[in-house]
Amino acid sequence: MISRSVEVVPENGLHARPAARFVQTANGYEAAVTVAADEGEAVNATSMIAVTALGVGQGDRVTVTADGEDEEEAIEALCAVLTEPVE
Amino acid sequence: MSQTLSGVGVTPRSGVGTARWYRPRDGRSETGGREHDPESERERIERAFASAEAGIESTRTSVADRIGEEEAAVFDAHEQFLADPTIREGIEAAIDRGEPAERAVEAAFAGPIEQFEAMEGRVAERADDLRDVCGRLLDGLSGEERADLSGLPTGTVLLAERLTPTDTARLEPERVAGFATIAGGRTSHAAIFARSLGIPAVVGVGEGLSTVEEGETVGINGETGEVVADPDEAAVDRLSAGVDHDAIDERVRTTDGREVDVAANVGTVSDLDRAIESGADGIGLFRTEFLFLDRTEPPDEEEQLAVYREALDAFDDRVVVRTLDVGADKPVPYLETEEGSNPFLGVRGIRRSLGPDSALFETQLRALLRAGAGRQNLAVMFPMVATTEELDAALDRVETVAAELGEAGIEHARPELGVMIETPAAVLSARALAARVEFFSIGTNDLSAYVMAVDRDDERLAALGDPLQPAVLRAIAESVEAAHDAGAWIGVCGEMASDPSLAELLVGLGVDELSMSPISVPAVKAEIRSIAAEDAERLAERALAAERLPEVEALVDHD
Repeated sequence: MISRSVEVVPENGLHARPAARFVQTANGYEAAVTVAADEGEAVNATSMIAVTALGVGQGDRVTVTADGEDEEEAIEALCAVLTEPVE
Repeated sequence: MSQTLSGVGVTPRSGVGTARWYRPRDGRSETGGREHDPESERERIERAFASAEAGIESTRTSVADRIGEEEAAVFDAHEQFLADPTIREGIEAAIDRGEPAERAVEAAFAGPIEQFEAMEGRVAERADDLRDVCGRLLDGLSGEERADLSGLPTGTVLLAERLTPTDTARLEPERVAGFATIAGGRTSHAAIFARSLGIPAVVGVGEGLSTVEEGETVGINGETGEVVADPDEAAVDRLSAGVDHDAIDERVRTTDGREVDVAANVGTVSDLDRAIESGADGIGLFRTEFLFLDRTEPPDEEEQLAVYREALDAFDDRVVVRTLDVGADKPVPYLETEEGSNPFLGVRGIRRSLGPDSALFETQLRALLRAGAGRQNLAVMFPMVATTEELDAALDRVETVAAELGEAGIEHARPELGVMIETPAAVLSARALAARVEFFSIGTNDLSAYVMAVDRDDERLAALGDPLQPAVLRAIAESVEAAHDAGAWIGVCGEMASDPSLAELLVGLGVDELSMSPISVPAVKAEIRSIAAEDAERLAERALAAERLPEVEALVDHD
């Protein structure tokens, strides 16, 4: 199991388009993935509702955790979504 | 008897028409109290999921086509909401308990909708997305299309509790005279889509809207937020006079004869059509980023040439093309975007064009100069200029490209050249910059952010970053003076220019051209015709003397 903490770059935070892309990416891996907002509870990264409800804005820090065979690729891809500034 | 309600106006247009209530979930079939066979309910729900998925996909395509790619992205989120495992699990559990599929769907969405609404801001607005997706599943179960909003009689004013993105995307601007909703805010999808489609709209009217009856005449003023039920003759005239603010094709003057150019901002080829229809006096800001985004390789010279020619052919009036402004919030996949810690203060605009993107910059200049050949209306401006060295280097590139084209015997033009005024440094060096170019264009959004040192997206700083801040107004005034003293003209192409209530102030400050989203062009033209340059100047003088934002706001409101 690995975790990584990053600062969210997209200007709308983890909402709408970036959130959709994040969830879609999480679904593309075997590893079980969770995401937690700063100090908060970790939620299922493949649930658009849970991810949206985190209410994560630009500049907030989130922690992504992946557990499974392709956990490293998953973390890599998910952190890329969180740190690409495109909305 | 006439009754006036008020909400939040979201489109600078007004319209009058016949009220028609939209209650999408009313006539749903009763599912009764008996126990339902889980197996058949499961089959029904599978079909509903498939049809909802197909529906989202097709709406996405049609929105991308009719409105824009950015708006269409909403439906990517819908796809993920539909695929959410908690929704799936909730529905399946309820069906296993013997609930009918309809109730299972409603129950599965009720919790998250409530949860979103209890949160603030952007999350709360996502509740509309959940409702939209939930509605699609219910439609799939009933086997009926939602009331078809695409076939409304001409002159309909649609009234609803709320409109989901899908509902709004189905409205046809040619038929719908306007809409008003009980709920909703300025930044809801419904509001954003209405603006893009140019439909007069007022949201967040509250329960009072329920008193308006089906078939009643209703006027919608999307500027003031007024909703008038059964308006008297004078009100009908007033609201219809505002209908679409009929496009004014000719140039407009103030009552005392000062001509002001009202141009359009364009960011895609389809915007170009909207700009033509709006009656704009040319293009004041042609953003070229769209040519470069969402693709794996940059467009070559020929491809760019074709697009620039199309834009130049569309107007006799001037077309101001801004050279590539990437970096910050607009990264391009095939460009190396090494982000600094603060992209807005990083390598963007001309800083890239003179640095890592110099080859791209040269190709763009070649395409532009060639496109201008045989035409008199090309103007080119550079974004994010902070120093005279940068400007000199950019002008030098233009010279080099022109010389190369000349040597090769390729026809090309000498465009008007200009500088975007966005950085405080450009304002403070305005005299030196103005001496080198034919025009300035003030990007008031970035200029306000940089002058006030605020992050444009931080809502807590909205008032601080207001372009009416005395410091920003003085920056505008200084830029105008420097431009005029050097014989250059000056335009404003930020959001500030699209607000008709600020036109008088900008005209008073001496701005020669206002450039805005095409939808605002008719309203601003109409406004300019109604003001006197002399009064505008007095207003600007008082505004420049103000020491506090509220004083400026009060001045603008009074006029």
